[in-house]
Amino acid sequence: MSQWVIKGLRTGIKSTRYPRTIETAPGMSPGLPVATRMSPDMAQMMVTRCPTSALEPAQAGVDVNLRRCIHCFRCARGTDSPMEWERERDFECAGVTPNSNDHDRRFGPAFSRSIHILVVDAGDCGACLNEVKQLNNPYYNMHRLGFFLTPTPRHADLLLVVGALTEHMRLPLRKAYDAMPTPKRVVAVGACALSGGIFGRSFMCAGGVGDFLPVDVEVPGNPPPPLAILHGLLVAAGRKPPALLYRRAEDSTEAPG
Amino acid sequence: MPPELLRVLEEAKARWTGKVRPSLNGGDAAACHLECETSELPAICNWLFAERECSFGGLIVEQGTPWQLRYVFYGQDSGWTHVVTYLHAGEERVPSVSRLIYAADWHEREAEDLFGLEFEGHPRLGDFVLHNDVWQEGVAPMRKGFDGSRPVTNREPDLNWKPRRIVEEAGAFGMPVGPVHSAAIAPVYFQLETVGEDVIRAQPRLFYAYRGLEKIAEGRQADDALLIAERISGTSAFAHSLGLCQGVEGLCQVEVPERASWLRVFLAEFERLRHHVAAIAGICESTGLAVSAAQAAILEEELLRISGSLTGHRYLFGMNVFGGLATDLDDAVCRRAAVQIAQVSDKLAVLQGMLSTSSSFLDRLEDVGKVSVSNARDFGLVGPIARASGLSRDLRKVAPYCGYDRVEFEVPQESEGDGYARLRLFFREAEQSARIISEIVQRIPAGRFRTPETALRPGAALGWVEAPGGAALHWIRLGEGGVVERYRIVTPSFANWHGFRLAAENFAFQDFPIILASFALSVHENDR
Amino acid sequence: MTNMDLLLVVILGLCGAGIVLPLAVEERRIPMALGSLGVLASIALLCLSGVSLFGDVSFHASLWTIPSLATLTLSLDRLSALFLFVAGLVLLPGSIFASGNLSAYLGKYSLRTFCVAYFALFATLVLIPLSADALSFLMLWELMSILIYLLVNFEHELPEHTRAGYLMLAIGEAGTILIALAFIILARGGSLEFASMKAIGNAFGEQARWAVFLLAFFGFGVKAGLIPVNFWLPQAYTSAPRPFVPVLAGATLNLGLYGIVRVNGDLLPVATVGPGLVALIIGSVTALLGILYATTQSDLKTLLAHSSIENAGIITAAFGAGFIFVASNHPAIAAIAFAAAFYHMANHSIYKTLLFCATGTVDSSVGTRSIDRLGGLIKTMPLTAGFFLVGALSIAALPPFNGFVSEWLTLQAMLQSAELASTGVKIVFAICGAILALTAGLAVTCFVKAFAMAFLGMSRSESAAQAPRARVSAAVPMAFLAVLCFLLGVAPTYVIPVLDGAIAPIAHQALAADALVPPFFSRNIHHGELPAGFVADFHKLGAQIGQSVMPGRGLVVLHRGTAANPVVFAMSTSYMAVVLLLMLLGAYVVFRLIVARDRSVERRTVWDGGIRRLLPEMTYTGTGFSNPVRVIFEAVFRPTTVEDTRETVGKHFRAAIRRTRGENHVLDRLVLDPISDAALWVANGFARMHHGFLNAYVFYGLGALLAALLVARLA
Ligand code: SF4
Repeated sequence: MSQWVIKGLRTGIKSTRYPRTIETAPGMSPGLPVATRMSPDMAQMMVTRCPTSALEPAQAGVDVNLRRCIHCFRCARGTDSPMEWERERDFECAGVTPNSNDHDRRFGPAFSRSIHILVVDAGDCGACLNEVKQLNNPYYNMHRLGFFLTPTPRHADLLLVVGALTEHMRLPLRKAYDAMPTPKRVVAVGACALSGGIFGRSFMCAGGVGDFLPVDVEVPGNPPPPLAILHGLLVAAGRKPPALLYRRAEDSTEAPG
Repeated sequence: MPPELLRVLEEAKARWTGKVRPSLNGGDAAACHLECETSELPAICNWLFAERECSFGGLIVEQGTPWQLRYVFYGQDSGWTHVVTYLHAGEERVPSVSRLIYAADWHEREAEDLFGLEFEGHPRLGDFVLHNDVWQEGVAPMRKGFDGSRPVTNREPDLNWKPRRIVEEAGAFGMPVGPVHSAAIAPVYFQLETVGEDVIRAQPRLFYAYRGLEKIAEGRQADDALLIAERISGTSAFAHSLGLCQGVEGLCQVEVPERASWLRVFLAEFERLRHHVAAIAGICESTGLAVSAAQAAILEEELLRISGSLTGHRYLFGMNVFGGLATDLDDAVCRRAAVQIAQVSDKLAVLQGMLSTSSSFLDRLEDVGKVSVSNARDFGLVGPIARASGLSRDLRKVAPYCGYDRVEFEVPQESEGDGYARLRLFFREAEQSARIISEIVQRIPAGRFRTPETALRPGAALGWVEAPGGAALHWIRLGEGGVVERYRIVTPSFANWHGFRLAAENFAFQDFPIILASFALSVHENDR
Repeated sequence: MTNMDLLLVVILGLCGAGIVLPLAVEERRIPMALGSLGVLASIALLCLSGVSLFGDVSFHASLWTIPSLATLTLSLDRLSALFLFVAGLVLLPGSIFASGNLSAYLGKYSLRTFCVAYFALFATLVLIPLSADALSFLMLWELMSILIYLLVNFEHELPEHTRAGYLMLAIGEAGTILIALAFIILARGGSLEFASMKAIGNAFGEQARWAVFLLAFFGFGVKAGLIPVNFWLPQAYTSAPRPFVPVLAGATLNLGLYGIVRVNGDLLPVATVGPGLVALIIGSVTALLGILYATTQSDLKTLLAHSSIENAGIITAAFGAGFIFVASNHPAIAAIAFAAAFYHMANHSIYKTLLFCATGTVDSSVGTRSIDRLGGLIKTMPLTAGFFLVGALSIAALPPFNGFVSEWLTLQAMLQSAELASTGVKIVFAICGAILALTAGLAVTCFVKAFAMAFLGMSRSESAAQAPRARVSAAVPMAFLAVLCFLLGVAPTYVIPVLDGAIAPIAHQALAADALVPPFFSRNIHHGELPAGFVADFHKLGAQIGQSVMPGRGLVVLHRGTAANPVVFAMSTSYMAVVLLLMLLGAYVVFRLIVARDRSVERRTVWDGGIRRLLPEMTYTGTGFSNPVRVIFEAVFRPTTVEDTRETVGKHFRAAIRRTRGENHVLDRLVLDPISDAALWVANGFARMHHGFLNAYVFYGLGALLAALLVARLA
């Protein structure tokens, strides 16, 4: 057994320093489309390219609804792709919903370093779930920030939902939420949980969990990288300011491409 | 054209003179088509499965006038054989072949559930994909008339539904596990039948994550179907999008540039490596050997980051397009990635060495969850799970695509069929994948990374791919204007979940997570 | 006529009335008559034995001399008084319970028969400990066997009951023969009276002593439930009708123990270590096997029956330890062992009666005793659940209930084996101590299972969900017994001195009380035995705390009286109970006043993982709960599982996996089967001889004659 101890020590510390400092390791996040100023013609072309209507035409250019973006890169690749992509701090993208301002949904001081999370997969493709799992790997190690996965909703403070909410998962998700003690918050992770993603609204999928549960924090991405989920958790805990999920071209500082 | 394929054709002609209409199509997608009457179906399928020792690939149902049922088989040397039968509207029943080919069991149950077809002689139908406690019998969402875009409002589910139990013993009870689990695990319900301590039988109830992908793909543009294919299983996204691409490319006779093919192999093997590392991490974690689990998880994250910086996406989404890749990869970047991958592979070898000397770890894997080779064959297991039991069928060898026939590699095989054999197999396949990557990265030719224009045309074709989990089939039928008319996805997890109960029988309760982890099954890939 | 004579006459008179009255009154009034007569007779019995036990009065009467054979004598010393008192404590609630439960049999079986047999047995139970000569003892013993048989086989229409009754009777007869043989050896002096047997004790040699010990030990062991002669017990207890089981379990088992102590402790005290070791080993193994089989039962009644075997084993082991200490000249430690044994015997009678009453109540309310079909009864039968819980906590030896005190004493007494000289004996003690500790642990498992599976969780059957509450006739006796469980648990310091009187004659020293319960609470200690420094130390530790509040002594201390190492162990269940109560109260107050202030309580259903509905069939069954024990002790249980899988079509479509589990009790396997095999083999041998030729017969005859001559010649 000692070989494992030695191996563990040899490996050293792998954990990111985020949120103390920003993480910049390559390949850790896919980036996000940036609302860009551009001509209406261009804008129209971009909008038709997007399979999930994440891009919306606006006066100044193209607005981006991050809830819908499924990271297909169609607006980023190709010969004529004026859409900017944000590649630094882009993972700090979790936003909040109006729900999260309710007084009785806030976590008191007792929760500042200990939040127990129940993960429910309400029907995703497995990528989001895999990224949630990565939060426990040595690189992200969410325990150091006081986040723990819990086996039962009885001990859970936070419900982390991934997936587009299938018909079959409605009852389990409802039961899990109801079984949690208050105060409790809901973090929806991934485009599918926010808007249905590519699955959209159908006979099986509800097009996101927002209509079904009072979601507090929304983490965009398809899948959101682990750090984005971590940011979402920090936002839910009130330890990080939220980001905007709907980004307007007119707010963009970028010059037109 | 494999010579064996001709022999299949000749023999079928001789045996069922006048009753089958055999035909051949050549080219890359060489296949023998045997059209027959429904009455001959079981006999012909059984002949292929039992005598010609073909594997059952899947059942493809297409509604139309008439209905078309396509039973796909593939053999080690004979390639593809499709047994096709037609049903006329109003007589929507067909003899079940599951009694002879147990591997077809779930295919028939799915078709019964989603199309409302009747499989005569199948002993257990209903409550499969559509759960009876959510839907009433009689809902057939895959039928053409069914509007898949909006929720079904009239529901009369059976609220008294309870899991089926077959163990009859004094004091036996059915322990429920899931669908919400104690860790970040995909939604699946397990009914463990036990009298305490030892579990007699564990049966999964799947399709909690059924998103109706085959239905929602219909009516969409083919390249949107590609986005759906990537999201069948996020951890095998590249393989499935490749499967669909090959189907469409075969149908539209698109020439994929050499460079694109090589890069596809590169990325497919890269994905396989990552999938297997994740499987190894899962096995380590299930045995409670924390350091090894952490080490494997580090490797998985490193691979995710390599793909992130190589392609922009950690799960290789958005890479495949019809006719090649969506974006070119810089050769230097590829080589750098290959070096990093080789480093990961070395670390993996170290990890394997350490694990193989940790006796407490091995004790928990050896003789756990055994699957015999005959059972593996009967249940139609595929991929690493089948190969760990000594059933070696790999589509990269059986029906090479993407130029795999020009790549030198070995398909590892084990014979014990227990948890340890599966672990070794994951290690060996991961090593093979790393070898392939480092070999071909030197040989990627210059040139275009995609054909400039893909003209989609109507018709149907089969695309196939050896996904990380095993053989995957993608049957695509396009209509005018590149609209998807039918998209049938047969995934390796669907086959292997069917066989999961083989391993989960008469075991100690604490071994359950290990058995589960050693199968490395994807619920999402199964549920679609 | 003294008071005692009078009381005895009253008891016997009431029993007589109980035998005669049923013949006169209407059948449906019999339960009432049984209850009231039983209660009166029990009270009289308690008075009679109480006077002797607490007042140290003995009693002796010669009844009738049968010329040239024996004088029938009755005598009451404190040993008999102890057993009678315990019997009284059982018969009092037992009679009430019986009267309440008897009416269920009205019209199906004859209540008259039951009542007659019940009171006849009552009288026998009283007279056996009183009889002071071998002849009356044996006659009464025989009578008791037959009466128990009649009562066990009360529901005689069920064949398994009859079979159980026959088995019991047959083994019982064998036991009686052994006992009779023991008495024949003891009566070598010519007199059948116990007093004269006792007088000639020194005349016996080693072999005769061994013979008497073994004969009596296994003879009485049949009734006491010791291996290897106890295989009748579980079946008989299970078959016995509801109104009778509590008495059967609480009173008759003790008589077996009484016999062992009377003969081996009193009439011919064991003088060497050997017999003690036999008792210790047999007792420990009995206890372990008893609890093992108890744990795996799913019928509550059978479970309790096996647990009776366990308890008999513990008591016997403590007796064995006592015998060993007596024989190796450690009377003080012997006294502690005997105190433990008697204490445990009394406790067992009380909690086992309580548990059988509770089980009977469940049975009559739900209609089944199978744990796998009960569940959730705490909601429908809260009172019964509470009483069962008290019984279960007691039998599982958890404070502050009585089982804890006596099992703790037993184990502590065994630890004193360090004082012994012989290493071999010490090793045996160590092993037996370990076995008993394991037994105690398993007992917790066993009764957690019994209580949790029957009373907690979800109801596993319709009738369990709608079980009616216990009737008064069941609740009152259970309450009485539960209170006793508690009192015996928190006030051991008052009980031990009472036991001391019974121990004195067999341990040859009345030391238990002094050794165990030093009078720390009196201000002026005049106790020569205790070194002053030791007393002072104890006072410093707080032995006098609460002396103005507590009514008396509260601490159980075992000390050796040496200055160097005065205290071996100390404990106080009374303090423990008080502290426990205060802690509970404190926790409640803290919760109410601090934690629960401004907070609301939310009630949610059980978390089921999100499935449609949680069904009772998804929760642990009793079998499932105890299966780990079955798996760990597979060598003992040797279960055989026959699996039979049915397919509908093809090879892999399964319709059912049917598994039948068979178990052959380890005693049947190791003792009964070989004996019956041997008997069959011999019989076959004879059968073969029968088919021989005439010449062969002549040859056999000749051979036998030669052999006889040879033997005679050599002798
Ligand atoms: S990457 Fe996002 S925004 Fe861009 S086209 Fe795809 S879905 Fe739309």
